[in-house]
Amino acid sequence: MACPHLEYRESDGDREFDTARAFCTVTGEFVQPVHADICNERYGLDPESDCEIFREHAGLDWDE
Amino acid sequence: MTYEEYLDGKPVVITAALTGGIQGKEAHPDLPETPAEIAEAAAAVEDAGAAVVHLHARRDNGERAFSTERFQGVTDAVRDATDDVIVQHSTGGTAAPDALRAEPLRTDPTPEMASLDMGPMNRGRRLTSENTRDTIDGLHAEMRERGIKPELEVFNNGHLNEAFRILDDLDEPPYLNLIFGPGTLAPPSPANLQRMVDQLPEHAEFNVIGFGPHQLPLTTQSLILGGHVRVGLEDNSYLRKGELATNEALVARAARIAEELGRPVATPAEARDLLGVESRR
Ligand code: SF4
Repeated sequence: MACPHLEYRESDGDREFDTARAFCTVTGEFVQPVHADICNERYGLDPESDCEIFREHAGLDWDE
Repeated sequence: MTYEEYLDGKPVVITAALTGGIQGKEAHPDLPETPAEIAEAAAAVEDAGAAVVHLHARRDNGERAFSTERFQGVTDAVRDATDDVIVQHSTGGTAAPDALRAEPLRTDPTPEMASLDMGPMNRGRRLTSENTRDTIDGLHAEMRERGIKPELEVFNNGHLNEAFRILDDLDEPPYLNLIFGPGTLAPPSPANLQRMVDQLPEHAEFNVIGFGPHQLPLTTQSLILGGHVRVGLEDNSYLRKGELATNEALVARAARIAEELGRPVATPAEARDLLGVESRR
């Protein structure tokens, strides 16, 4: 499973990469490699509980 | 590991942290990610004065990888491209399970050195690199079994206690890496570096990392205190404000400052002698 806001893209309009990279459609930016583990739900990580961007976009407070 | 050793002109070991696993080409277009790119950077920093290269492995898309197979690809490429530089693998891995954290120790040949995190570090709101004592002891036991020299990663002053906990189990000399930066890292200041160095055992060797703008001043201070230095794009993207760095330029600058200060730059062979590292070359 992966975050619904995650896409893999070779370009963000400015930069081109040979291999598609994690791209967040909420921020419109490529994702830091360490954060891509949250986007991809690796190692028990989960966008809904662990990603600030996901939570803010969904209107979730941290005590919810 | 003292000011007297600085005055005596003790050689300094420069470690180059070439890639890391936190950011990638989205942040710095020249940050090496593939085995070929990391190997090219390793050759350049060896020529510039690095005795040790600190390595992480990545997937083809730049994301973090911990498998022995991925590390094997990186370490093979680096060994082929360099003459004698010491290979140090990271065993760090925020959120990664312990079983994966040990995989970088199992390449053939094994790395000569490996990082050993001394305790927790926070990232963002929810991410933590836990590094329980159980994790530390498990990784350390495997390093001892495989003859790999651990570099103890001291993220803050409290982690000195954790390093002292395993001091008697370490081969001589203990090698501690004092790390300064934001969040749960040691607050970056010359006074704090001095205080941490004052607490080290006399026979220990130490290395210093300063993140971002703290890399230049705190590694320079380490030179004067008789310590060693780590520089590279894992820790700092900029040569100076507004000017992106390369690994080679950061190492060349550290080597130049060391020489100016009367600390000759250690060759890999000298670094093995100083730090008690078994050669795999
Ligand atoms: S950064 Fe957050 S919101 Fe964006 S794709 Fe990754 S998990 Fe989803």
